[in-house]
Amino acid sequence: MNISYSWLKEIIPDMKMKPEEVADHLASRGAPVDIKGGGEIGLGSVVVGRVNTVKKHPNADRLSICEVDNGKEVLQVICGAPLIKEGGHYPFAGVGSELPNGMKLKKAKIRGEFSNGMLCSEMELGLGIDQGGIMLLPESVSPGERLIEVLNLGEIVLEVEVTPNRGDWLSHLGLAREVISTGMENLQLPSIPGAVDLTVRTKTGQHKISDNGVSIRIDSPDLCDRFMGIVINDVTVGPSPDWLVKKLAAIGQQSINNIVDATNYVMLELGSPMHAYDLDKMEGGQIIVRNASEGEKIKALDGIEYNLTSEMLLVCDQFAPQNIAGVIGGMDSSVTEDTVNMFLECALFKPKSVRKTCKKLGIATDASYRFERGVDPEGHLGAIKRALEIILAIAGGEAGRSILEVGPKPYRASLLPLRLSRVESVLGLSFDADELQRMLSSIGFGIERSEKDSVVVNVPSYRSYDILREIDLIEEVARVYGYDQFPENLSPYLASSVPDHPLFELEEEVRKSFTDAGILEAINPAFANSREGDVELLNPISSEESHLRNSLLPGLLRNLESNFARSTRDIRLFEIGTVFRALVSSVGEEGREATNVGAVMTGSRTPHHWSTVKSDPIDFWVVKGIVGDALEVSGWKAVSLELGVKDSDLWVQGRAATIVCGGEDVGSFGQVLPERFEAPKWAGEVWALEFILPSRIAEKEELFFKSLPQHPGVDRDLALLLDLGVSSEDVISKIEEAGGQFLKEISIFDVYEGNEIPSRKLSLGIRMRFQSFERTLTDVEVELVVERIIRKLAEDLSVQQRL
Amino acid sequence: MSPKIDLLDSLSEIEQSALIGISRAVNPEELEALRISLLGRKEGKLSRILKGIASVESSERKLIGAEANRIKKVLTETLEIAQANFEANDKDNSKFLDVTLPGKKQWKGSEHPINCVIDEIWQIFRSMGFTRVRGPEIDSEWYNFEALNTPLDHPAADEQDTLYLKESGLLRSHTSPVQIRTLENHSPPIRVLAPGMVYRRDTYDATHTPAFHQIEGLVVDEGVTFIDFKATLAEFSKRFWGAGTKVRFRPSFFPFTEPSAEVDVKRIVIRDGQEVETDWIEVMGAGMVDPNVLENVGYDPERYTGFAFGMGPGRMALLKYGISDLRMFSQNDVRFLSQLSDGPIR
Repeated sequence: MNISYSWLKEIIPDMKMKPEEVADHLASRGAPVDIKGGGEIGLGSVVVGRVNTVKKHPNADRLSICEVDNGKEVLQVICGAPLIKEGGHYPFAGVGSELPNGMKLKKAKIRGEFSNGMLCSEMELGLGIDQGGIMLLPESVSPGERLIEVLNLGEIVLEVEVTPNRGDWLSHLGLAREVISTGMENLQLPSIPGAVDLTVRTKTGQHKISDNGVSIRIDSPDLCDRFMGIVINDVTVGPSPDWLVKKLAAIGQQSINNIVDATNYVMLELGSPMHAYDLDKMEGGQIIVRNASEGEKIKALDGIEYNLTSEMLLVCDQFAPQNIAGVIGGMDSSVTEDTVNMFLECALFKPKSVRKTCKKLGIATDASYRFERGVDPEGHLGAIKRALEIILAIAGGEAGRSILEVGPKPYRASLLPLRLSRVESVLGLSFDADELQRMLSSIGFGIERSEKDSVVVNVPSYRSYDILREIDLIEEVARVYGYDQFPENLSPYLASSVPDHPLFELEEEVRKSFTDAGILEAINPAFANSREGDVELLNPISSEESHLRNSLLPGLLRNLESNFARSTRDIRLFEIGTVFRALVSSVGEEGREATNVGAVMTGSRTPHHWSTVKSDPIDFWVVKGIVGDALEVSGWKAVSLELGVKDSDLWVQGRAATIVCGGEDVGSFGQVLPERFEAPKWAGEVWALEFILPSRIAEKEELFFKSLPQHPGVDRDLALLLDLGVSSEDVISKIEEAGGQFLKEISIFDVYEGNEIPSRKLSLGIRMRFQSFERTLTDVEVELVVERIIRKLAEDLSVQQRL
Repeated sequence: MSPKIDLLDSLSEIEQSALIGISRAVNPEELEALRISLLGRKEGKLSRILKGIASVESSERKLIGAEANRIKKVLTETLEIAQANFEANDKDNSKFLDVTLPGKKQWKGSEHPINCVIDEIWQIFRSMGFTRVRGPEIDSEWYNFEALNTPLDHPAADEQDTLYLKESGLLRSHTSPVQIRTLENHSPPIRVLAPGMVYRRDTYDATHTPAFHQIEGLVVDEGVTFIDFKATLAEFSKRFWGAGTKVRFRPSFFPFTEPSAEVDVKRIVIRDGQEVETDWIEVMGAGMVDPNVLENVGYDPERYTGFAFGMGPGRMALLKYGISDLRMFSQNDVRFLSQLSDGPIR
C-alpha cells in the first residue's frame, strides 16, 4: 500500500512526525515501511513528449519512427513499443539524459534511421513493473513539462507492507488511525477544491429499494451484506483536475477520467472500493445483485471476456451482468466521455465469495484485494458522501434525491471480554483495567464496561474482521504497549520430553563418513523431469521440474556436468536427501518418502603430488571402500554385494554392483555409463553410488572393550590358485570355517591373473594371523591348522596351493 | 685369572664404550677426541693393547690380535660414517630437500554450508533443552493450513504459493505442520526444533528457490509467556549472530500465532578493519501459539501456552558467509563448496 506523506498529514493536521518517524512507528505496530521519493530520483531530465506523427520504420517491422515534440523542438525518435498514439503524451528522455537504471542516452542510428532520445516505459523509469508499453501520460499535460512535476514524483511516498489480517490499513485513513496515538476524533479529510456542503438523506430497504427511477434488489443476501448507491445526473466526464492527477500519480495510480479517479481517490483515502456505472446503459434502470447463472459471460474493463459460474456474485441490470461484484466492472456500462447519467455504487461483498471468484477467474484488482481482506462495514455512507462531494466538484452534475441503501443484515458491533488474568498468563506482565483501557482506546477500541478482573471491549467496525477473540485483544495490548518494552529474562524451563529423532543422528554419521573420505556435500532441489520421477506435480513450475525425484543421481550428474563445464576434473559430491515414490496402498502415505544417500565421483583419488608421475584415478575399489564405510554407519546390517544391477541403464555392467540387505536391494554403485552425462574429452571415468537409509533405525549397539592379546601372533601366508568364478568371499568363509579358534585375522595381500599361472585361474595371496589369549602358539599347532585349511579349500572349492 | 681372558674382556669393554661414545658425540670435535683416545698412535687404548701384545703368550697372541684388529676396523669405519654424517648435516639442508615443495595431501570433504548453519542453530537450541523432530515433505491441507488456523479461503493461504501433487497431497510450504504432528504425538514439556525442506511455487532468483530449508521451533508447556518467547529468541539470536547483536521484535501476522512477531537483528560486522553495525535484518517469523492451534490438537489453551518460530537457514547462510545469490547453494560448484569447507562456522 502506497501512502502519500502529505495526504497523511492532511488527515492528521497536527502531525509532528517526520516521514522516518512515521515509518518507525508503523513498523513497531506491524507495518514495515519503505520510504520512497522526496529526493533526486534520477528523472530530472525526463520531460513530457508529445508524439506528433507515427510511421513505420522502413527497415524494421517492429520499430516505428515518431516525431516527438519536447516543448522546445521536434525530434525524430525510434520506438520499439507497439501502440504509440499520434497526439499522445509520453515520458521522453532526450540525448544526454540519464535514467534511474543507469542508462545514458546518446544519439543513435537504428537500422539506418537516427533516434534522438527515447520514449520510456514505467520499468525504464523505475516507476513500476510494466515494461511492455510506453507510459501514457494524461492529456492535461503539455510538452516540455518535467515528469517529476507532472507525476508529482517529488512527493514522499511510504510503501507500507500490509499483512493479510489488516484490510483496514489499505487506506490513508486506516493508517492515520494507527499513526495517531490519541484523539481519533481529530482526524479530518482533506478539503476538496470547489466542493460545496450538501446533505443527502438515505433511503433504506431490507431487500430492495427504488427512487429516482432506479431500483435496487439483492437476490443473494448471503453474499452481500449491504449495497448503497446514488444517482448522479448530467455529469461531464473528462480529464481530472491537476490536483487529483498529481495526488493519484504520487502513489502510482494513473489518471483515467474524473469519475473513475474520484472513486479511486475515495478507495485510497477511506478504503472502500466503489464502482461507477453509466446509468443509461443499465437496462430497465434496474440494479440486481445476484449469483451468475452457469455459462453467463461478461466483457470486463480489462477487455477480457470472463466465463462466469453460479457461485460468482454479479451486479446486473435487467438482463445482463454489468459488474463482477467486488472484482471488476463490465465494459458495457463503464463510464466514458459520453456518459451523462451515472450510478455510484459502494457495497459490502463477502470476503470469501470475492476471493473464490478471483481465484477461479485468475484475476486480482485493487477492489478485490480490499474486499478479500475485509472492508469497513460501516464505511459506506462516508465513502458515498465523499465521492459525491468530489464528483460534483470536478464533474458537475446533480445528485439524486437520496442515497439508496439495501441492507439485509445491519452491522452489529461485537463486544469482547478481556480478562486481566489471561493477559498476564499470555504476556507475562500484568496490566490493570485502566492501563488496558488507555492502550485499547488509543487505537479506536471502546471500553463498554470495566470490572475488577476484566474489561468488556467494543471492537470498532473496521477491525471486525481480525479482532474476534480475547487473544486478538491481547495482541493489541502487546502491540500498543510495544513488543520492545517487554523484558527478556529467561525463566527456568523443563527440557523437552520429546526424544531427538534418530534419523538426524544417523544422517550426521553418514555425512561424516563421506566428508571424512574427502567428499563435498551437495544439495539439489527435489524436482525432476518425467523420466526421473514417479510423483507428478499438479501445478509445476516448469516442464523440466514437473515431477519429484525418485533418485538423487540425476541431480548429482547434472552437478557433475556443470562442474565439468567449469573445467573441474576432480569432482566428488554426495547428497543426503528425500526421494519420492508414487502412492501405492501397500506402503501407504509414509512409504511415499525415503531418505537416500548418493554420490558421484571422478578424477584423482588424492590431490596430484609432484613426487608421482602416475595419476591415481578413482576406481571400483575406491567407491567400494566409501560405500562400505557409509553402510557401516547407516544402520543396514548383514549387507552383501552382487555383481551387476538389474533393470538399469545407468551403470556399466560388469563394473557395478547391487547392495543387498535381507534379500532386498537397498542400493547400487559402480561406473556410470558415459552416455548418461555430457563430459569434455579430458574427463575420466565417473563413479557413483546410491542407497536408501533404513526407515526404522535400530538402537545403536553399545561398545564394550575387549582385552588386548598378551602373546605374540603367528602370521602365515598362502598363495592360492582359484578357478574363475570362485570369489574371495567364498575362500575367506571356508578359511574361517576351518581356521579354528586361534585364527584372528584374514587379509588379502595380492590378486594376480596372468602369464605366470595357468589360464582361467586366479592367484590369491592370503595372510592369516593366529593368536591365543593364553599362550604363545607353537609352529606345529599352527602348521596343523594351515594344513586343515588347505584341505578344506581343496575339497570344497578345488582351490590349489600355488607353489 | 688368565691374561687372555683379561685382555679379551677389556677389548670388548673398549668396543662397547667406544660405540656408545661415538653414537653420543654431538660434534666432529668430540669424534676426533674419541678417535685419538682409541686409535691414537701413542696413547690410544687399542694401540696400547696392540703394542703390549708382544708380552702375551704366542698361543694366545693370534686370537687376541685378531680380535683387536677386528675392533679397530669396526671402530675406524664407525668413526668415518659418523664423521661423514656430521659433514653432511653441516651443509645447508635446502640443497638436499626443498621443504617449500608441497606435501602430500588428502581431499577435504565438507558439510554443505546450509547444513553447517542448521547444525550451528541446532547446537544453540540443544543447549537450551530442545530436541529435534521431523515430518513428511508430502503433507495434507489439514496439516499445512487448516490445523494451523489458516482457512483455505483466507488470503493468508496465498502468502505461500503451494505446490500440489496430481495424486493426493501437497508439498509442505513451511515446516509448521511439524508443530501439529509433534503436539499430536507427544505431551508437554515440548521444546522442539524441526529442520527440513519446504516447497513453494516460486521461480528461481537471487533470493528465492522453489525448494528451500526452513527450521521450525515450538515450545509448549504450562506457564510459557511472551517474555519467555522473547528471552529465548533473543538469546538464540545473540549467540548465532554474535556478541553485540541487537534484537528487535515487531508485530506481524501469522495465522497460527497470536501475538505474532517478526524478529530483526542488527549485527556488528567487520568492514575494512572497522566494526560497523548493519541495518536491521529480518531473520525470523514467530509468535505465541494461537489458541486455535492448541484446540485443534486437543490441548486446553487455558492451561497450556507456548511459542513457535520459523527461520530460513539458507537466508541466514547468505548473510553469514556474505553470499549474494541463493542459487549458489544449489549449483553445487565444487569450487564454491570446497571454499567454504574450512569456513568460519564450527
